[in-house]
Amino acid sequence: MVQSVKRKQGWHLLQCLRKVFSWRASLSWVLEGLGGEANLKPENVEIHIIDDNFFLKWNSSSESVRNVTFSADYQILGTDNWKKLPGCQNTTSTNCNFSSVELKNVFEKIELRIRAEEGNNTSIWYEVEPFVPFLEAQIGPPDVHLEAEDKAIILSISPPGTEDSIMWATDRLNFRYSVVIWKNSSSLEERTETVFPEDKIYKLSPEITYCLKVKAELPLQSRVGYYSPVYCINTTERHNVPSPENIQINADNQVFVLKWDYPYENTTFRAQWLRAFFKKIPGKHSGKWKQILNCENVTTTRCVFPRNAFPSGIYYVRVQASNGNGTSFWSEEKKFYIEMKTVIFPPVISLKSITDDSLHVSVGASEESENTSVNQLYPLIYEVIFWENTSNAERKVLEKRTEFTFLDLKPLTVYCVKARALIENDRRNKSSSFSDTVCEKTKPGDTSKTWLKAGICTALFSIPVVIYVVRLFLRCVNYVFFPSSKPPSSVDEYFSDQPLKNLLLSTSEEQTERCFIIENASIITEIEETNEIDEVHKKYNSQTSQDSGNYSNEDENSGSKISEEFLQQDSV
Amino acid sequence: MGLFITGILSLDYNSLNVRLRRVTWQNLRLLRRMSNSFPIECLQESKAFELPQEILSHSQSLKRNIKEAFYKMSRQAFHIFTQDTFKPTWEETHLSQVQVGLDHQLRYLEQCLEEEEDGNEDTGEREETLRSSSPPAGNLELRRYFNRIDRFLKDKKRSPCAWEIVRMEIRRCFYFFQKLTALLRRR
Repeated sequence: MVQSVKRKQGWHLLQCLRKVFSWRASLSWVLEGLGGEANLKPENVEIHIIDDNFFLKWNSSSESVRNVTFSADYQILGTDNWKKLPGCQNTTSTNCNFSSVELKNVFEKIELRIRAEEGNNTSIWYEVEPFVPFLEAQIGPPDVHLEAEDKAIILSISPPGTEDSIMWATDRLNFRYSVVIWKNSSSLEERTETVFPEDKIYKLSPEITYCLKVKAELPLQSRVGYYSPVYCINTTERHNVPSPENIQINADNQVFVLKWDYPYENTTFRAQWLRAFFKKIPGKHSGKWKQILNCENVTTTRCVFPRNAFPSGIYYVRVQASNGNGTSFWSEEKKFYIEMKTVIFPPVISLKSITDDSLHVSVGASEESENTSVNQLYPLIYEVIFWENTSNAERKVLEKRTEFTFLDLKPLTVYCVKARALIENDRRNKSSSFSDTVCEKTKPGDTSKTWLKAGICTALFSIPVVIYVVRLFLRCVNYVFFPSSKPPSSVDEYFSDQPLKNLLLSTSEEQTERCFIIENASIITEIEETNEIDEVHKKYNSQTSQDSGNYSNEDENSGSKISEEFLQQDSV
Repeated sequence: MGLFITGILSLDYNSLNVRLRRVTWQNLRLLRRMSNSFPIECLQESKAFELPQEILSHSQSLKRNIKEAFYKMSRQAFHIFTQDTFKPTWEETHLSQVQVGLDHQLRYLEQCLEEEEDGNEDTGEREETLRSSSPPAGNLELRRYFNRIDRFLKDKKRSPCAWEIVRMEIRRCFYFFQKLTALLRRR
């Protein structure tokens, strides 16, 4: 515990001393500076990088010339290994060129520091803000080589930096070059063009001195380079064999037709092609142009070659003429897109009337176009022209969909449609021819028609209902006015045993009640042996004698038998 | 002189994506077929180039960033395969097929990026519209990666083994981008 406190104290003391000394140092330096003595420190240190050339510039803080030298170090940010900057050691001037530094990687952050020395005194280090060389680099002037024809100048541009440039190693193909060209006699007629590394400037006049300058750009990084020095060259005199002009390429089913203009007869021509991307690559491509097989030594101003000789892509084509007097320069290079040179077939339309105020249009591809690559590669849009058959007023619509409807139409009217297919946003406005005209009549009727329909529907639905109701009604009527004479079935059950005539006969007899003495058991047991049934009847009778006598007819027969026997016994 | 591969045809974005994907897969196949198999003796020379996984900055939309990175990467690949000092042991036809394929891929990517750009103008160079507004530092990772490949080729004096290794690396790169794009599409 004590030790740590002591250590702390010691540390604090050290810090204090350090501060004092540094303060003293700076104070002395200030004093020295004020005193006018040396120990200059560099100021306003700047870094300039152009291609692979690295420059360091600074100002000296004193104006008077002394024996002051400057030295600089560098290190990669993060490491702790200051290395001497080559070309910037003990230099007396206020700038130095450290291009010989072998930077392995221009995409890493670099730290620089520089200080002044005079004799044994050295200033403190001035540390430059860390930077990435690639981001600080500026694009230098490209190297240009010219060759003149009579109406064109051939340019060969090398990218900025050397071929082994480490700065632009990953960008060599990405440069875009901008040329400013003018006639030496009048600099007012300037023309600016963007060119490939290997390119030609056309439409010039023979035997004129042209001057030009070129600069390189990296558009993706918004970086523009310095212009090259001005180069001037004379175009040659007019060549006795002119070059072919106005090259055109058209597609015709399975072949391409190459045509050009030429003023003279008795000439043979040959045509060559080049894949377009080669133009992006610096260096001579003269070997890369290939002969079009069907267009070698042709004597007409056209030649035909099969489509499958050229897979999809972009190409350049050039034509050269030769006759007895010599060979012409190559014609202007014509760029052509294989995909563009396909024929778009007219679409097939079908028209349907759905309601009375609209027509449904269906656009389909014709059979021939099913197999071509156009529909697969590029979506088509359709220009549809729509009019009433009787009038001339046409409505033009651009439709992307293949099924759509025209609304707000008049019923019972004939409308006509025709359409053609276009490639969307095609600057060349390439389109098919118009399809056949299709006409169709809209459905009839307005609201009355719908009412009629509704009426029919309801009628259909209501018929079974009506029938049912009528049946019910009839039943009611029948029930009320024409009842059936048949009694209900429940009553029948009771009358089933006794026919009607028994009732009539039995009413003639007198209905009397018989009273019987049941307490005399001896009498009862005698009867019992003879007739068990009688006993039941007796009991029945005694019970029923207390009743009102409604059901006395049943007992009458049995009752009469028993009464006779009693009367006999009483008499004994 | 219609020099740039300008957007004469502005294509439907989805069909463009489909075609881009198809071309990239084609290129992958071409790259694979360029030589029969990876020579075993080259295995010891193989080097880890450390494809940067985080090449996307967060400033712009993710899709556009990936497309841009893919575009730059395709450009670099194209650059590698079209160098003049290119003397590998591969067949000429294979090489030209790869070049054509890569050019296709580049064109589609350019068109893709142009489609995404708002306020796309028909006039002027299309390349200008591809100016990325993300800080250049975001591209440094990719550049460093390609610098490594480039230096590897130079150091090995463009030996056949070096080319084989680089070819493998480009394949990995394309594959990575295809997967990344597919992942984004599903989002």
